[in-house]
Amino acid sequence: MGAYVARRLLQMIPIILGVAALVFMLFTSVGEDPALVALGQHATPEAIADLRAEWGLDQPLWMQFLDFLRQIATFDYGRSFNTGEQLTDMFRQGALVSLSLTVFPFLLGTLTNVALGLLIAYFRGSLLDRISTAIFVGSMSISYLVYIIAFQYLLAYKAGVFPIQGYETGLAGVRYLLLPWIIILVVSAGPDIRIYRTVFLDETQADYVRTAFAKGASEASVIFRHILKNALIPILTHVVISIPFLILGAFLMERFFSIPGVGDIMITAINTGDFPILKGLTVLIAIAYAVFNLITDLLYAWVDPRVQLS
Amino acid sequence: MTTTAHTALLALCLSLAVLLGSTGCGEDEAASNDGKKIFYDARRSAHKSLDPPKQFDGASAEIVMNVFDTLVEYDYLARPYRLAPNLLESMPEKSADGRTYIFRLRKGVHFHDDPSFPGGKGRELNADDAIYSIKRFADANVNLKSWVLMAGFVEGLDAFREKTRELGKNVDYDALEVAGLRKLDDHSFEVEFTQENPLALFPFAMTSLSIVPREAVEKYGEDFANKPVGTGPFQIKQYARRGTMILEKNPNYHGRYPNEGAPGDAEAGLLEAAGKPIPFLDEIHMPLIEEPQPAMLKFRKAELDWIGIDKDNFPNMAFKAEDGSFHLKDEYARLYNHYAEPSLAAEYFAFNLQDPLFKDNKALRQAFALAIDTPAFIDLLLNGRALPLQTIVPQPIAGSEEDIGFEYYRQNRELARQKLAEAGYPNGEGLPEVVFEYRAATKDARQGFEFIRNELAEVGIRAKASFNTFSAFLKKIETGNFQIASSGWQADYPDAENFYQLVYGPNRTPGPNSSTFANPEFDALYEQTRYMENGPERFALFERMAEIMKDEVPLLLRYNGIAFGIYQKNLHNLKRHMLVDKPYKYIDKVGEPVL
Amino acid sequence: MTPTPETARTPEGAEGMRSVRGDSLARRAWRSLRRDRMVMLCFAVISLYVIVALLGYSGLLPDMQERVGTKYEAPSLSFAKLFGTDIFGRSILYKILAGAQTAMTIGFIVTGISLPIGISLGALAGYYGGRVDAVVVWLYSVISSVPSILLIVGISYVLEKGITAICIALGVVSWVGLCRLIRGEVIKHRSREYVLAVRLLGAGDATIIFRHILPNVFHLAIVTASLTILSAIKSEVILTFLGVGIQDGSSWGTMITDATGELVSGIWWPLAGVSLAMFLVMYALNVAGDALRDALDPKLID
Repeated sequence: MGAYVARRLLQMIPIILGVAALVFMLFTSVGEDPALVALGQHATPEAIADLRAEWGLDQPLWMQFLDFLRQIATFDYGRSFNTGEQLTDMFRQGALVSLSLTVFPFLLGTLTNVALGLLIAYFRGSLLDRISTAIFVGSMSISYLVYIIAFQYLLAYKAGVFPIQGYETGLAGVRYLLLPWIIILVVSAGPDIRIYRTVFLDETQADYVRTAFAKGASEASVIFRHILKNALIPILTHVVISIPFLILGAFLMERFFSIPGVGDIMITAINTGDFPILKGLTVLIAIAYAVFNLITDLLYAWVDPRVQLS
Repeated sequence: MTTTAHTALLALCLSLAVLLGSTGCGEDEAASNDGKKIFYDARRSAHKSLDPPKQFDGASAEIVMNVFDTLVEYDYLARPYRLAPNLLESMPEKSADGRTYIFRLRKGVHFHDDPSFPGGKGRELNADDAIYSIKRFADANVNLKSWVLMAGFVEGLDAFREKTRELGKNVDYDALEVAGLRKLDDHSFEVEFTQENPLALFPFAMTSLSIVPREAVEKYGEDFANKPVGTGPFQIKQYARRGTMILEKNPNYHGRYPNEGAPGDAEAGLLEAAGKPIPFLDEIHMPLIEEPQPAMLKFRKAELDWIGIDKDNFPNMAFKAEDGSFHLKDEYARLYNHYAEPSLAAEYFAFNLQDPLFKDNKALRQAFALAIDTPAFIDLLLNGRALPLQTIVPQPIAGSEEDIGFEYYRQNRELARQKLAEAGYPNGEGLPEVVFEYRAATKDARQGFEFIRNELAEVGIRAKASFNTFSAFLKKIETGNFQIASSGWQADYPDAENFYQLVYGPNRTPGPNSSTFANPEFDALYEQTRYMENGPERFALFERMAEIMKDEVPLLLRYNGIAFGIYQKNLHNLKRHMLVDKPYKYIDKVGEPVL
Repeated sequence: MTPTPETARTPEGAEGMRSVRGDSLARRAWRSLRRDRMVMLCFAVISLYVIVALLGYSGLLPDMQERVGTKYEAPSLSFAKLFGTDIFGRSILYKILAGAQTAMTIGFIVTGISLPIGISLGALAGYYGGRVDAVVVWLYSVISSVPSILLIVGISYVLEKGITAICIALGVVSWVGLCRLIRGEVIKHRSREYVLAVRLLGAGDATIIFRHILPNVFHLAIVTASLTILSAIKSEVILTFLGVGIQDGSSWGTMITDATGELVSGIWWPLAGVSLAMFLVMYALNVAGDALRDALDPKLID
């Protein structure tokens, strides 16, 4: 087990290197010049040169790449071009905020959506299936922005049930998060239920189900003892692999509810060409992704003893 | 099933832990005010730095101008805009040579209490602070953004800047004398300018040239940007870049509300507080709200006190009357007060005169100018909230069309077609598709271009647009890799010179003259008017400059916007000043808003 | 569960046989699809969108730039104003049609990029294993660890913004899932008896992959394709909000971004129109995708 984990961690290195190279290619060698944005309408050639030197942009590309690798290895991603903030601090604070926004509705949503997916898979092909598909696809064709604007207007402004926007750390912050949570639950229901329905349908077609029926097992027992158990692996994969991306938060939500998370940082960085943020963020999430991949595999072995870790 | 339950439980605990474990303090709107006057005003974007010489963006300046003081400031009520003393006892006195000014500091002004001072008590402001701050403003290692606005002004200061560049960071300012900066005594000093210059004092009103205490700068280093210490009306109570920034009143502030106003101010109730010590507000809460819609909902719940109306909400709440004045609809007029004030910014399209298509083809550029109906653009896409530019100088600034009586092109499609033919492209034949560069990929930019494209298509010009990130846009301008750029200029100080320099030959890229226009006659006129006092003589020369710009069309002039804002009825003393975006120190809040 | 006839199960070894008569698999699938009227309706809807796109390319769609009325007219019963007009008095319906052309273009190009890459890399990796497999797995691990939104933004920095950048970016992102699936299936099939048998008969690697293995896993590709089109259409909308999408007003993403603001001032019809158009095609693709996976899955043939 320990050896397995160690080997997997070693295997992460080439992947992270690949990500670093890709990200570096996309965000460093492009033609844009962040120094110009930072300096504003009175930029002088000397100031531009000075700032580029300060940011190391005058170095040859391979030097910049080595520097980027050093940053990755030391988890010190330098400073934002735009505000000069330490990225490590920004990400740490932002990630916690984003997670407080996304983790709870993600978990609750997963539970209810798995249950609903199972229900709909059970009634596959029936009118209920047809109608629910229409409803879920309908909910998917309405833009995320519309949900936010409508819910904010109706529930926060008109009904006054929730605050319109804001954020606070600690338990007191929950009241600001309730409405975003509701919206995330509503918006994620459609696509999630569709996915879980498919997962369950795949399982109902598997050999063991037929075998179980042939042996005269009751429907309930087949569903709960066999299908649900076997469907757990694809569900777990879907869930665990989604977690790293929760760090990015629900960026539209963060923007409209002024939640100071990573998603909001990302949008601002995209708008201002703040490449250190984009690079650092990408690598950080890639690392988290690799770690969670490993966790998935370990969970497999735990859920299903037949899976060999090798 | 049990495994799912376990995992879920585990993760639930995790998420709660995250929620509770995150540290830091938050805003608490629900808490009682204890009778405090709290002003709620949203920030639209996060600031870059609160260290005065290191910032030159609106979001930073909004806070810097309330935490720090400048030597002189813009008179809050007077129109047209003019300077008034702030940290000075009176406006600097010009000596007989016309180049030297004596600055006398107000006595008894103290910095905010801060651990960087002995005993944590704010020290009294003196002449050394002013000289230190001016030197720091000129330091090439500190100020990358706004030095240009004072370059060449003060005797010896440019040489000082060169020295700091050579010496690198942490220069000892005491070791480097500046010939033109001379301390007279603890509360006065002399500044010798390189020539007689009516613009000489404007830089001293810029937030970048706020007065900072040396102790705090040296103690905090880079962190001074997060722990600003000044003499301003407010100090930081809760620092937050995202989230809510809270300012609290500086109880020892030196300032007083102005005694005189512009005509009509007394009737508008703006002089009720005349001569009283300021600030009136105890705290300013500034949440960061980037999207306009939630901000408007909050304003309408009276959770914000002041807001600019966004484009989508405007038609619901307000309208433009026949005579061009702006009003709130009745149901909102009952609840809120409003203002409509022309901005000090010019919007224009810059033609790249290095581009083979536009180079040496005046008629083609004129055809563009004649094809576009700017007033229609303003009505359709800006809710009518702008004035078509007649010269490059926005209306509130002396020397605009108000003073020189000038008129720019009006749409004339027939003439535009003629000019197009004259340019060698009858009916647009042979004219390649021209590319407009925009500085954002927003809905407004996109819709704005749709309008322009249609206007141009009517006369036979095909156009497409590239919607860039701001950095990509600037890069294209800087490298001259564009045809037409949708640009704008925000006044640094209220003088026409600041706008005419946009097409002054020697200012060509990387300077602000992005069209690279160079016209000997214009350049000579510019140099002649640059340091002239406003008056008929200067205005006559402006008229000629405006004519050249109209004839040559290096820039296709468009509009200057009108700021339209609304505020709760219980606010007092709010008068929109386009050079003082957040005049918190004058504002008062009495009683409850109308709901 | 759903009563599936026990007899449906065929011995594993027989699957290879079926691939030889692959045309009959397709015919069976078609027959089972045709029985369901809803599914046929959905195919009709998809064809309609494709036809709109084709019409657009042959210049037969009405010009969306044409001013058919005045600013913000509510829907009325004339054809052009069925969904009202926009701020410039242009027909929302015409814009939706132009947007359909863009959406279909993106959907098909992205699928056209991701399908061949996904299938070929997946098949190669699964079949050869070893070093080839390691490289392919590395490649898709790298791409799937980067959040797709950042990857797409990055690509759009490098390429000029617009439809090409979007297609390439989405194409680069979306072959990964398919590649992973195909690789897994090919690994399973590689050691099956029918493959061994064909190899003994002297067939080369290429023959085995293309003639024998791929037809057995091709249903995965078709299902993935319908999902790729779906996600491509949805991604375009988000990208436009971020300012990296299509900017010239002929896409659903731009329409939705604009319409969301207009909703605040009570102009609901642009949003209603474009949401309806999106709903129809997404519903059709969903139902058709489901039906296809059922009809094409060799395990389910009755």
